[in-house]
Amino acid sequence: MAKTILIPVDFTPESLNTLKLALKENSISGVNVILMYSEYLTDSITDLLFYSADRIIESHITPDFEETISILKNRYETDIKTIKIELFHGYNINSFKNFIEAKRIDAIYIPKKYTLKLKKNGFDPIPFIKKSGLPVQEMEWVSNFFNS
Amino acid sequence: MKTQYKIALFLIVANTLILIVFGGSVYYFLYNYSYTDFYKRLATRASITAKYNFDTDNKNAESIKIIREQHLEKLSNEKEHISLINSFNDLKTFAEKSALPLNFIKEIYTNGKGNLQIGNTFYSGTKYKAGTNVYMVIISAENYYATHHLALLKNIILVGLFFIIFITISLSFYFSKHIFDPIRNITYKVKKISTDNIHLRLEENEKDNEISQLILTFNNLFNRLETAFETQKNFISNASHEFGTPLTSIIGEADVALMKERSPAEYQETLHSILSQAERLNQISQSLLFLAQTGYRENRLNFEILRTDEIIWQAKEIIDKLIPKNKIQIDFSLLPENPFKLKVSGNKQLLTLAFVNVLTNACKYSNNKNVLVSIASSNHQVIIEIKDQGIGIPASELQFIYDPFFRASNTHQFEGYGIGLPLTRNIIKIHNGLLLVSSEVNKGTTVQIKIPLIQYSEMKF
Repeated sequence: MAKTILIPVDFTPESLNTLKLALKENSISGVNVILMYSEYLTDSITDLLFYSADRIIESHITPDFEETISILKNRYETDIKTIKIELFHGYNINSFKNFIEAKRIDAIYIPKKYTLKLKKNGFDPIPFIKKSGLPVQEMEWVSNFFNS
Repeated sequence: MKTQYKIALFLIVANTLILIVFGGSVYYFLYNYSYTDFYKRLATRASITAKYNFDTDNKNAESIKIIREQHLEKLSNEKEHISLINSFNDLKTFAEKSALPLNFIKEIYTNGKGNLQIGNTFYSGTKYKAGTNVYMVIISAENYYATHHLALLKNIILVGLFFIIFITISLSFYFSKHIFDPIRNITYKVKKISTDNIHLRLEENEKDNEISQLILTFNNLFNRLETAFETQKNFISNASHEFGTPLTSIIGEADVALMKERSPAEYQETLHSILSQAERLNQISQSLLFLAQTGYRENRLNFEILRTDEIIWQAKEIIDKLIPKNKIQIDFSLLPENPFKLKVSGNKQLLTLAFVNVLTNACKYSNNKNVLVSIASSNHQVIIEIKDQGIGIPASELQFIYDPFFRASNTHQFEGYGIGLPLTRNIIKIHNGLLLVSSEVNKGTTVQIKIPLIQYSEMKF
């Protein structure tokens, strides 16, 4: 059965190292990848009225990041079924558990030493992930996306 | 036609049109209004006249007459025609008596009221019933307002129009002449700058408008031109230096050898030294020729479909022969599963040469430390990253690395004459690729080469 795995990212190519290692070490065929970026929801009512997840993702995404995703897609063409970028806006552990349940996530991979480079309004989801009760694997890597 | 006159003409025509439409509409609407208003006034007078003439209540009629005489101003040439109408014949006699067309009288009889204009005189009539009698009242007057006031208005508008058009024309010419002053200024100054005084720049003003942007653009252009000139000058001095050194040493060796009789072994040694210098000369001139050839895009190159990983293996084989101590590792951990994602269109010899150049540099300037080569491919391009742990390039000199014969300040202990990287860049450019170099002194240099893939749709047969 297809597995769904979750990787926290910060829209830098480096943060995709976690995914690269996860795919390298666990040769799982047919995996759905969800790249999660966590960000506090805006307080402005007008902003909320015109809220669009796609637009937020588009504002953060860089050509480098997209290119890195396509490199990984090409490398693990048979393993990866889909790669999706999702936003997480929750404030507490319960909302994160809901998120996991809704997305039917089976496993989470997080970087061991790398700390996510947060943008404005972003927050670090690692504490939630560690308390979520799902199997969490820490991936250790040091250098940039190439040559690791 | 000069742009200046175009602008002036446009302004004049546009303003005149607007003025004419404005003045014309003011006149037209006022003209219309004065007529309807005048008929209304006549109609009011007619009905009042009928009231005080035929009203059965005499007292009331008298007071209405007084009010009319006191408050309603007398119109110019105002006349009243009153008649009792009992039969059709009465209409006829009334028409004859008042010298009005019968049709008008009939119209008033059937409609109850009617308006008519004959020349400057306006007529307004009304039918009035008092008991069993039917009366008809027609008031006529000349429209003093229309004939005099409107004529005055027409004059005012026409004179105003001419004045304003005159002002518009002079303003338009003044404006169109002076709006191009800064541009004429720039043209004048740019004309003065030639190859002899290319260091001159236009004066930049603080304001952030189109003109200052134009000046900035020109200055940037001059900066680039100046750099190109400098590069060319440097190239000549560097090239003559590179050619001069081996030549001087050849001449020196030959001179010394010819000073007196020497043993065959000594001659041999001299000849060997001369030969090696000549070979070096040959190498430089050949690589220069190659650089010049790859500098043109429009030359007949054979492009074929190539696999990037194969080219890298070939380059590595060549390096293995040139530098047997090299430690090049090729990392395939990001190699795409689909071999189509590695295929590029290119010239095999040139691409191999490019990679050999970069790899040789990586080995040479790191004294054969580890060199890591990784290949990855996105949907549009193959990315090859070559990372060494060498001496690096000082940040201030990164911009010059593509100048022929340029060598970074920290490369004195290494042999080379600075043609490899420019040549590599030319080759990558021919293949529509990108060459990115980032470096940190004493830590190493990372070279990223990106070459566009052959698009999948083109390859499906």
